[in-house]
Amino acid sequence: MRIVILAALMMTLASAVVLYSSNYDTRQLEARVAEQERVIEKARGDIAVLKAERAHLARPDRIEPLARKLGLGPASERQLAANPDEALARATAADDVSRKKGN
Amino acid sequence: MMSPAKRGIELESSIDNAEMEKADGAEVVAMPRAANGPLRTLIATAAMALFFMAIGAQLVRLALMGLSDSSISLSETVAQSFARPDIVDRNGRLLATDVEAYSLFADPARVIDRDEVIEKLTVVFPDLDRAALRKDLSDRTRRFAWVRRGLSPRVAQQVHDLGLPGLNFRRELRRAYPGGKLAGHLLGYVNIDNKGVAGIERYVDEMVGVESVDGATLTERPPVRLSIDIGIQHALEAELDDAVARYKAKGAAGLVMDVTSGEVLASASDPDVDPGKPNTDNARADKIAASTFELGSVFKTMTVAMALDAGLVTTDTVFNVTPSLTSGKFTIGDVHASKGPLSVAQIFERSSNVGAAMIALQAGAQRQQDFLRRMQLLDTLKTEAGSVAAPQLPPRWGEIETITASYGHGIALAPLQFAVAACALVNGGNKVTPTFIKRAPDAGQAQIPLVSAATSQRLRDLMRLNVTHGTGKQAEVSGYRVGGKTGTADIPGVGGYRDGAVISSFLAAFPMDNPRYLVFVLLFEPQATKESGGEVLAARNAAPTAGRVISRIGPLLGLLPTQAAAQGTTSTAFDASAPAKYEAR
Repeated sequence: MRIVILAALMMTLASAVVLYSSNYDTRQLEARVAEQERVIEKARGDIAVLKAERAHLARPDRIEPLARKLGLGPASERQLAANPDEALARATAADDVSRKKGN
Repeated sequence: MMSPAKRGIELESSIDNAEMEKADGAEVVAMPRAANGPLRTLIATAAMALFFMAIGAQLVRLALMGLSDSSISLSETVAQSFARPDIVDRNGRLLATDVEAYSLFADPARVIDRDEVIEKLTVVFPDLDRAALRKDLSDRTRRFAWVRRGLSPRVAQQVHDLGLPGLNFRRELRRAYPGGKLAGHLLGYVNIDNKGVAGIERYVDEMVGVESVDGATLTERPPVRLSIDIGIQHALEAELDDAVARYKAKGAAGLVMDVTSGEVLASASDPDVDPGKPNTDNARADKIAASTFELGSVFKTMTVAMALDAGLVTTDTVFNVTPSLTSGKFTIGDVHASKGPLSVAQIFERSSNVGAAMIALQAGAQRQQDFLRRMQLLDTLKTEAGSVAAPQLPPRWGEIETITASYGHGIALAPLQFAVAACALVNGGNKVTPTFIKRAPDAGQAQIPLVSAATSQRLRDLMRLNVTHGTGKQAEVSGYRVGGKTGTADIPGVGGYRDGAVISSFLAAFPMDNPRYLVFVLLFEPQATKESGGEVLAARNAAPTAGRVISRIGPLLGLLPTQAAAQGTTSTAFDASAPAKYEAR
């Protein structure tokens, strides 16, 4: 009888220790989850800001003056070749000439 | 078999047990079990008393010390904010998104020096309402009062650096429009709680759904994809700005639509608005959908279409437009009176008011009304951005109203509503439902014919004729086969029409052999400038503006200009059908 009581007591103590440690572990895990969630939320917030910043930088009224400065503009009919093969040959020839000049 | 040594140990232990039992028995004898009771009770009572005293002491301590720092009572209602999905253009480019912002609040009970707080905050926020803040901070029973919401991180840092006790921040969501004023009228705006109030933002609230959040949690809803194309929208806005400066106009508006799907690719109104700042100025109201105007001669497209569709006339039917037309006390004349009779095609090409009036009179008031109703011009139109301004119709539709309506006076419409009807005239005659939301390419809409395909073809020819030989010459863009109609409408004032104040407009479609896009440009009160040859007529200002818009957006729309030299052949020299496309997420 005494042994049984002793064993029960030991088991109670042991399970208390197990319970305590698992409770402690759970809390730690929960804290880690919360931490990770915070990190995710922060990352999502950062992504949103970066996305907005990228869109702000790519807005047409900023790009247009830059493109115009480089001499770019809307494509026009004059830029189209009536005969693409001839145009390609011309362009290749022009390339060759400039390459030779470069040499 | 057990070893003798082991048996010896067992024997010893059994003897020990026997002795211990004896000893126990002796103890029982020495201290009777009954004497244990009061002592145990005493110990238990003392333990319980200690326990309750500890609790009592803790309660007293808490009552004296007050609440610790970590618990701030937020018993006052804190406004809920809303997490909204992104708004992107048809190619996935970002138009509106939620970003995290800081909102500053005060805890009046913890503010030590009210004057110092107000003084220092005024340095950061010069427009701070000092009286209101003083009132909020004076109420020491309050634990929460907003000071300023939606601060940028930089401003929040400035406030933080002041080191004032009793001030704190909450993270909230705030709507950001990376394009600035781009498509401002269409996007609408949100209130301080991030709730949609006008335009597409309101549509997002009502039809797509937003999430009520506490704090700054972004929504995971997919973005709302508009039919707008940022590139085309910008080109249109830039050209309208340019036209306002060039012709010294008070304002301008423009619209680009897909004539078959009804998708609006760009919609702009000048002066523009910033979606980041709620607009309450009437002068900046959206001219495309929220205002109605007498549109003038562009309306002749409807008059001619009505007569052609009913088989009352052909394009060759001749009307004698030489004498001016009289109805009651009104006399209708043409700006440039014709020297001889004109065919229907010539009436359209030269934009003769008398001719249009005669066509309408031949059809009659009833037929005219029926036709306009069929073209969705007499009923209120709805889009995702809300109801389009209701058409303003004459209270009584008699002979004079029939005449004036034939050339676009006495009936006021939102330009969007007119453009929708005009789409049906050039797309083969099918009904168009306007939308600001991108439609799936395979979303086959039910084809509801409003006019016959033959009428639509005649209209295309007439509109092309107007650009090649008529009032719309300056809208021609080489390679795009533009067709259109000019309109110069007088602006009503007190007791009649105002002198010299006009709305000049140009309704264009291209490419005219199989129109895909419609462009409608309006200029409000343009002045006679050198650029417009000293005239205010649409032929000299709205038509060239429409031409400039088309020359810019044509390549963006993936339409290759056909070459005048080799009509009909499409070159493969470059492929504009693949503009920069990237997804926002």
